[in-house]
Amino acid sequence: MDAPAAGSELRLELDRLVREVLPGGRRALDRLLPVFAGFAGTGAAVYLRAERGFRREAASGSGDYPELLDSPPGAALAFDGGLLVWDPSCPPRQLSTEACGLALAVAAAAREVQLAHRLRAQDFEAKTRGVQLEALYDVGLAIASTLDFEPLCEQILMRAVSLADARRGALYLGEGGDALRLERAFGGDAAPTLDLADAEVAALLAGRATPNCCALPGAQHLFGVPILTDGEARGVLVVGDKESRWGVGPFREEDRRTLELLANQAAIALANAELHRQALEKERLEREVELASQIQRQILPKSAPRIPGYQVHGWNRPARHVGGDYYDFLALPDGTSTVLVVGDVSGKGVPAALLVSTLHSALHLLAEREPLSPAMCERLNRLILESSSANKFITLFVAELCPSDGLLRYVNAGHNPGLIRRASGALEELPASGMPLGLIAEARFATAEARLLPGDLLCLYSDGITEAATPDDEEFGCARLVELLATGDAQPLGELVASIDRAVVDFAAGRPQADDQTLLLVRRDC
Amino acid sequence: MTESLKLTIDRRDGLAVIYTEGYINNQGGEEIARAAYLLLDEGHRKLLLNLTGTKIINSIGISILIEIIEKMLEVEGKLAFCALTPTIEKTFHIMGLAQYAAIFPDEVAAVSGLAT
Repeated sequence: MDAPAAGSELRLELDRLVREVLPGGRRALDRLLPVFAGFAGTGAAVYLRAERGFRREAASGSGDYPELLDSPPGAALAFDGGLLVWDPSCPPRQLSTEACGLALAVAAAAREVQLAHRLRAQDFEAKTRGVQLEALYDVGLAIASTLDFEPLCEQILMRAVSLADARRGALYLGEGGDALRLERAFGGDAAPTLDLADAEVAALLAGRATPNCCALPGAQHLFGVPILTDGEARGVLVVGDKESRWGVGPFREEDRRTLELLANQAAIALANAELHRQALEKERLEREVELASQIQRQILPKSAPRIPGYQVHGWNRPARHVGGDYYDFLALPDGTSTVLVVGDVSGKGVPAALLVSTLHSALHLLAEREPLSPAMCERLNRLILESSSANKFITLFVAELCPSDGLLRYVNAGHNPGLIRRASGALEELPASGMPLGLIAEARFATAEARLLPGDLLCLYSDGITEAATPDDEEFGCARLVELLATGDAQPLGELVASIDRAVVDFAAGRPQADDQTLLLVRRDC
Repeated sequence: MTESLKLTIDRRDGLAVIYTEGYINNQGGEEIARAAYLLLDEGHRKLLLNLTGTKIINSIGISILIEIIEKMLEVEGKLAFCALTPTIEKTFHIMGLAQYAAIFPDEVAAVSGLAT
């Protein structure tokens, strides 16, 4: 602090200081205040008017000058927008003429500082509005291009918190109705759910939220805006505790308008994200189905084998593009026999198609090495058990046909009975002789025999044929199938299959096919 | 994401780097200011604020960063920012911070830029 000088010298000094530093505002204040403090006791300070009371702008010398003042103290000079205070032991009337002049110069410098503050605050405010407008524009672009739900929710909430200068926030979303769930919270805990019918929530959306409102426990100031889709609140964006340099306070009306604009864009972005999610799910399912369909197309035989004296025909139609039904013909290496197979894997889609693939490989490996026998089926069972999940199994009808004498040796592992319509018109069933494959390791199987005579027709099928149902849940049943086999005595097998298919479709009367449908027909001509 | 700000300071020869993680709001900004003024008191005149871990800033945080920049200008020091999100970088340009403090895409570029 400069020491007081003699009167004339002091005036000169004052003139020089004012002339030199007053335009410098803050710099002038920093230089003038210590000089004044030297004339006014032990110290002095300048306070500028703040939102509440006065805030200390500068201080010099000793003395207790708190950061905030509620009202002017005894030794003070009030000027437009501020106070100059000094040592209370030196009342205003005791100030020298020079000190009074110096006090006016300090006040002038302080006013300039305050003007600079105001201009700066206005500039900052204008730039902040620019940031908000730019941010709203960006939000439109960013959240419209963010189709992943989780990052989108984070983006929306962070923008809301940032734009409103909030300390906390929460985003609630629902799927229609009044109940909303917490999707994301920022800066502290938030209630896990929000009920739009709740009076407290209604007050929150109307701008009359009470402190410590349910949405953001502990927040002193908060408000919420609805996220509207087709006029209905599908979510709520809540912000809490608006920040300033001196703590938190209430939000302003422009914060509400800004958040409402953000909520409008958020509603569009969230709807887009939901549509995108649905499209991705559909695409994923279609890819899965296509993959499984490819697997199955490669497995099912391209054509039926030519066996002299016999007609053979296989047909399959999956329920969901791909399914768990399987049929096959295997010509054995010795050239004497052909293996006929119809199987049904529990379930549909890719898992079922993969198990069909396993069955196909295992069956080819085993059948080419050894004749059909209980032991071969037990090995097949163990292979399937090891390859399948706990709840998957396969019903299987596998038969070895010796064309020369019509002998049919077969194992029916839990499958629908095979049917033989004799040339005489009699019907013979080939019932199950073991449990489905893949259920237990200890499963046992037995072979059985039948003989196809000239004019006889063997029909192997899956339950997708006999269990095809009408809208009233009436099933097609085995009797209708048998009837069709009876009327198709003279038909080529391809035509017979087509007539069975037509009959099943007509019977279902528009009800979508629920299960895979498979037919394998063998007729002995001579 | 971390919400309250965490700071890490790396003092190097001729440069100090302040790493931020979390929300730069009033509290976060003041923490940065405390760290920056401490580094100034220690004699550092080149400060780098690496905002890799910060995705959100509000206007109060920005006003505090402006104060730090002004302080750096007073002592003829240099302050630079790096690793800003596009949103924060755009905000810095609009608010005028970029006029007085350099902005670099990453720390390597910033260290090189501050060395000149």
